[in-house]
Amino acid sequence: MAEAKIKGSKNKYCDSESRYRAAFRYMLLARVFEERTANLYRAGKIVGGVFMGKGQEAFSVGLALALDKNRGDVYGPLIRDQAGRLAFGEALLDAARTYLGSIEGPMKAREGNVHRGNIPMGIIPMISHLGSHISVVSGRLIGKRFCGQKDAIGGVCIGDGGTSTGAFHEALNQAAVEKLPLVVAVANNQFAYSTPTDRQFACDDLVDRAIGYGVEGHSIDGTDLSLCLDTFQKAATRAREGYGPQLVIGHLLRLCGHGEHDDASYISEKHKQGVFGRDCVDVAQQYLISSGWSNLAEIEQWTAEIQKEVEKATSCAQRESGPDPFQETWQALATTRLAEGNSTA
Amino acid sequence: MALIPIQMPQLGESIAEAVIVEINIEIGQQVTADQEVFQVETNKAIMGVTIPVEGIINKIEVIRDESYLVGATLGWLEISEENAKQLGVSESSSTQTHVSAVDKQSPPSPSDPSAPGLKSDSARETSESQGPLTVQPTIEGLPVPATATGATYLSPRMKARMEELGLHAADLSGIAGSGGAGRVTIDDFERFISEIDQKHRTDASPMRIAVADSMRRSWTRPLATVGSPVQLDILLEHRKTRQPKPGPTLYIIRALAIALAENTAVAGRLVGKQIVHPDAIDIGFAVEVDDGVLVPVIRDVDKKPLADIVDEYSILVEQARQRRLPPDNSQRGPGIATVTNFGVFGIVWATPIPLPEQNLVLGLGRGIKWPVWDEDQEKFIPATEAVMTLSFDHRILDGGAAGRLLGRISELLQKPDSL
Amino acid sequence: MSITYLEAIQAAQDRALAENEFVYIYGQDVGSFGGAFKATKNLAAKYPGRVIDAPISEDAMVGSAIGATAEGMRPILEMQFADFSTIAINQICNQAATQFWRTGIPCPITVRLPSGGTEGGGPFHSQSMEAIYAQYPGLIVLTPATVEDAYSMLLEAVTIDDPVVFCEHKYLYYHLKADQLPDKNLPVGKARIARTGKHATVVTYSAMVHEALRAADTLEEEGWEIEIVDLRSIKPIDTDTVLASVARTGRLLCVSEAFPWGGVNAEVISRVTSEGFHLLDAPPKRLNAKDTPIPFHPNLWKAHRPASQSIASSLRDLLRY
Repeated sequence: MAEAKIKGSKNKYCDSESRYRAAFRYMLLARVFEERTANLYRAGKIVGGVFMGKGQEAFSVGLALALDKNRGDVYGPLIRDQAGRLAFGEALLDAARTYLGSIEGPMKAREGNVHRGNIPMGIIPMISHLGSHISVVSGRLIGKRFCGQKDAIGGVCIGDGGTSTGAFHEALNQAAVEKLPLVVAVANNQFAYSTPTDRQFACDDLVDRAIGYGVEGHSIDGTDLSLCLDTFQKAATRAREGYGPQLVIGHLLRLCGHGEHDDASYISEKHKQGVFGRDCVDVAQQYLISSGWSNLAEIEQWTAEIQKEVEKATSCAQRESGPDPFQETWQALATTRLAEGNSTA
Repeated sequence: MALIPIQMPQLGESIAEAVIVEINIEIGQQVTADQEVFQVETNKAIMGVTIPVEGIINKIEVIRDESYLVGATLGWLEISEENAKQLGVSESSSTQTHVSAVDKQSPPSPSDPSAPGLKSDSARETSESQGPLTVQPTIEGLPVPATATGATYLSPRMKARMEELGLHAADLSGIAGSGGAGRVTIDDFERFISEIDQKHRTDASPMRIAVADSMRRSWTRPLATVGSPVQLDILLEHRKTRQPKPGPTLYIIRALAIALAENTAVAGRLVGKQIVHPDAIDIGFAVEVDDGVLVPVIRDVDKKPLADIVDEYSILVEQARQRRLPPDNSQRGPGIATVTNFGVFGIVWATPIPLPEQNLVLGLGRGIKWPVWDEDQEKFIPATEAVMTLSFDHRILDGGAAGRLLGRISELLQKPDSL
Repeated sequence: MSITYLEAIQAAQDRALAENEFVYIYGQDVGSFGGAFKATKNLAAKYPGRVIDAPISEDAMVGSAIGATAEGMRPILEMQFADFSTIAINQICNQAATQFWRTGIPCPITVRLPSGGTEGGGPFHSQSMEAIYAQYPGLIVLTPATVEDAYSMLLEAVTIDDPVVFCEHKYLYYHLKADQLPDKNLPVGKARIARTGKHATVVTYSAMVHEALRAADTLEEEGWEIEIVDLRSIKPIDTDTVLASVARTGRLLCVSEAFPWGGVNAEVISRVTSEGFHLLDAPPKRLNAKDTPIPFHPNLWKAHRPASQSIASSLRDLLRY
């Protein structure tokens, strides 16, 4: 317990400046990597789909940096959380391998693109059914409570559309009843695929729901990295201190289609020019320069490094072999003796 | 009032549908029990469809000259509640009635082998006639196979077991089946096998097995035999003038070949809806060998005069007896017909079975010298007469055609010089 | 001493909690109330903090159990009625069942489904869900028919590293009694010959085993010896035992309380016809509940599900062939 406390107080990013610089670098890395995957998708090298977090990097990285995997924190990212995944600790190569179908990937090419995770590290492998991973994060916190590990918290990501599911409701209510240390980050990016928020919910702000669940709520401009970092830091601390679930709503705009197959023609000019239409990466870069925490030359140098890093990961994954159906076990059970043969009769 | 369906009856085994050729009724017509309301035609017969109870025709569901499945509803009959109760039917629960009828009857108990499934047949048929109601052929013109039950039906297990033991359906003829419609069940079969096991048995020779296999395959067809007397005196006289002397069989072979060359269709084989004609008049003849029969073949007999085949015939007989027939003898198959001279065994009359590949087998009985009435001389004169038999596939030939063929052969035999 | 099927389930959970500190029970009303059927009676007091009431949130119940396994826990979930597990079907079939395949990390949860019909249960408290779950790869589906199996199979379920859907039959809760709990039993995955015979095989499971046994008694009076295979486990299915029985009898009737379309009966018949065609001396038959929702009134309910009389009648049809 004492050790955990020391660990907690010794944050990696001991001041705002180092934290902000680190966050920005993850945002940039995610942005460059996703653009690379989009190109590989258009080149036919990636099958299935590419789902980008463009415009959501600040909000995504904000939650992930408030978590500490070394402390046992658990992270439940969704499809637009490349930045958060990197900040939490997922290797870039894992992402590249999963997208490119390498047999070396964490999902062994049985799963693709954003459907990846690392259970021992604390990253929940999301399934496509929105909201269903929230209670899984809660369950890990319940399990930790049983095991006497009281210091860890969970962070889980969802979008505006996902809040309409029964799973979201059940999970948030359950977490509130169990007073779990869970931070729920809702990226309200104005569209669920093509459906605008006025067809999704009728409250003014999704944060209004917090009071109904009996949880603490936060509503912020999700394009402002400073605000994201501070709010999630605060929410994580509240959760860790026993104040129960924290509902954090980030208002922002998805700056891309639902996936790379979608041109997002339904997003109006008004939205794009609106207050949440600004690019959080640009905003953060300007802030870095104006605050004197970095300069253009350094950012260019970072960009160059990142491009090399991305190239290295994607080319490595491309070189690796894909899965061989004859080597595949075709067994869905851990208990081999109970596995049935795959009858072709 | 209750409505009951008028249904297409089961019109015979394996008949799946029938054409409505006559509609004897009108809607609203009062009809009496057993009155014929429709006439239907199958490919076998024209039959009347009757109704089971008096009533009023409520609806007619069919069109003349259209075909309907067995069990199809042809119309509806309005009957009194009282009659409905008596029949045990009502419009909503006709299937339930059938179920309870089945329930009441128990299958034959194994301890009661004297009641092999016959008791339940009526109930079974009820349930089967319900079956086709729901099955409509998706492609017009495709036959709907009849339900695979009945005495001849072999279950997968029976087939597997028979294959294991090397048995054929013909071997089961001695078993009285206790299954549905007299089917031989696996229990019946195993009992039979264990009974056989207790008896004295010897191995049949390969020749015996080959003949058995051939006869069994042939017997799957509807075979018939006709016979007529033929006078042999002219033939026998002619024979004496020749050196070497041709046997009577050879005359018959040659006469048959000429007759068949005039009309090849009678030696054809029926495959589906087509007659497959012979492409050469090759004739086989039966030679008795140890524990069986061999059938050497003389090719293109229609093109070879008698004198030319006497030697060939003798050589083939000798080769057959020694079981040394050259392989090329059967290269073109066993021929289109076989001649068998069973008269050499003293037999006057027989019903030989044609080879499975052939339609015809021509037999010759023992010649007997007896008085024959001569119309010209108005007196009995001695004549040597034998019965010539023709066995054939009744699907291809009828009695008349078979008789005409025998007649033509007989005619040819009276002019041995032309042979 | 006599112990009911329900008490066996309670006793198995008691033992699982006692023997493994990572086991906990989560479900509606399972805590101090002891469960809607009292399957967790006294357990909350005996194991404080480990038998927890859940909100009416089947999805979140299962989702959280899946998460807890990643921390080493072995949760037992009680669905109040099997019927309600449809709310959690996504978590069971898409999350729990896929996890090992997707990640290589096992997901040892046990989901108890109080299944099957009772008098007056009606459409939403009577369903048999086993075939739906068996359809999904990655799940084990168990259907105990005896007190002994309820006990030993539930205990084994908790030790299995895969998600187990445990279909316990409500009708058997109080109706079925045994003298004592077993020390040893057949393992999960093995079927049991509940009665030996030579004229026909009935393959069935759960409460229908008892209906089939009664039908076999009736037919015995008529001179027939019926063999009954209790599958015990729907997934995996012990095809070998079924085929061996059909090899002895040549005739097969499958009986299930579930709805007729597809399902366990269809699966068994499909396997027997494709792997044991040569064993069949009659077309295999099946008997299911009717293809309607489950009726409320006892008169209708008794006619809706297979019972000893309808099983006997089907057997007579089969034997008559």
